[in-house]
Amino acid sequence: MELLIQIGFFLALLVVGLVAGTLNERRHYRRLREDEAALRGILVFNERRPPDDLPLRTGQLVVGSVVIGEDYFKRIAASLKSLFGGRLVVYESLMDRGRREAIVRMKREAEHLGATMVFNVRFETSSLAEDGTGRQAAFSAEFIAYGTALVPPAAA
Amino acid sequence: MSRYENPQLPDDVNVGRENPLTEFLRLAAGLALLALVIGAALYFGGSQLARLIPFETERDWVGERLAPGSGLPAAPGNAEIRDYLQALTDRLAAQMDLPAGMTLRAHYVDTEIANAFASLGGHIAVTRGLYRRLPSENALSLVIAHEIAHVRARDPIAGIGGSAALLLVMSLVTGDASALSGAFAGVVQRGYSRRAETAADTRAIDALRRHYGHAGGGTAVFKTFAQLRTAHGGEPPALLSTHPLDAERIARLQQAAAGWDAAAQPLVPLRLVDERP
Amino acid sequence: MELSNLEVLPGRTIVRHLGLVQGSTVRSKHAGKDLLAGLRNFVGGELKAYTELLNESRQEAIDRMVQQAQAAGANAVVNVRFSTSNIAAGAAEVMAYGTAVVVE
Repeated sequence: MELLIQIGFFLALLVVGLVAGTLNERRHYRRLREDEAALRGILVFNERRPPDDLPLRTGQLVVGSVVIGEDYFKRIAASLKSLFGGRLVVYESLMDRGRREAIVRMKREAEHLGATMVFNVRFETSSLAEDGTGRQAAFSAEFIAYGTALVPPAAA
Repeated sequence: MSRYENPQLPDDVNVGRENPLTEFLRLAAGLALLALVIGAALYFGGSQLARLIPFETERDWVGERLAPGSGLPAAPGNAEIRDYLQALTDRLAAQMDLPAGMTLRAHYVDTEIANAFASLGGHIAVTRGLYRRLPSENALSLVIAHEIAHVRARDPIAGIGGSAALLLVMSLVTGDASALSGAFAGVVQRGYSRRAETAADTRAIDALRRHYGHAGGGTAVFKTFAQLRTAHGGEPPALLSTHPLDAERIARLQQAAAGWDAAAQPLVPLRLVDERP
Repeated sequence: MELSNLEVLPGRTIVRHLGLVQGSTVRSKHAGKDLLAGLRNFVGGELKAYTELLNESRQEAIDRMVQQAQAAGANAVVNVRFSTSNIAAGAAEVMAYGTAVVVE
């Protein structure tokens, strides 16, 4: 009986995680596509040297960051998949969303500065998986994108 | 002079094409199947290992107790009937080619639940509920011979060895050892594999023939069980049951008793009657 | 597709800069290999299963990055960088990124 309650609780969490997580992810992707379309005027490169032939610009650091957490379904699906090995698609979409969101936020900062180009873009990801007691808690990760925006002197 | 631009990029290359839900269901089914196969292998391995334990060791280990931890009443039902069961057990065992050193001890269990079982260490039990429903000694002999056949085949210890192996690995995986004691408590209600039951039936019929000169009167046992079971909501279909269905067993018994002339070789009545209400 | 982690391809002229491209993947090894790697961790030394895992992941990350670069019409990616981050025990994300360019 107690076991049945535990199993029922587990399945309920799984379904909630699946439904809420999928809706969340779909909404995030929709917003990402809109934002990316709106910010297409901001060009990003990871080369360190800006072109020499541009009119005079100043450089300014721009950063975008976001923390994204998994849902319960992702967590269970990933640990199940880990038993067999292979690609963890549920986490790939999470990492993809996080990184694109970080770029969008970085570009938005560049746009505020009046820049149209960001050079030397770098990524940083750190996982917040541990809950401090050493036990594996729900997975979440911070994504940072940063670079140098070329700001025209009039705007600066 | 180079140009700087950001063309539209495909935005879906970094996520695999698999649908997470279908993949999850597929893997969960695979895991369940894997657990089933490993469980079956563990059970089988555990039973084969347990069969290697010498009978003497098993008997010394269990001692005088019948199915410890089963919750059955400790007091013997009726000492006279128990002695009758013991005598019948010894007579039948003499017909069954038991290995040297395999001794049997009969018990008469004071409960209305109709049941008979073989436990560890050569203990054989018949309950009052079953005894009172049997119409003849021949039927009682079939029950006892069937249980002797289980002891002879070492089925009780094999069953316990199998469950113990399974539960041991399960408790290692889950880190919870509390279920382990259950391996030893299950002997009373344990069903063995269809093959073990059929083999025990065959051997019991054989013993009946040697003892009475015919195999008649045994079908009453399964008719009794069939009636009891119908009263409790019917039998499970053949595929779900590890016991060969009563109808199947009755057919086999009828076939074994085909040449029996009831007038020339009458059934032996039970020598003692349990007179309690 | 030519890849370089310099900002240039030596001897070639970059005519168009097509911007940031990136590829990433998350992978894990099956539980048996995780177990063996755990045992291996008692004595130290190379955890071959994980070396292999990260190499496979890196290759896939490069492939995905190249896919984006090709779609953009590039024939080279310069200034390629890798980064690896730990997701869970035995699972890791590997990422590759760079700037897609057209060289003559």
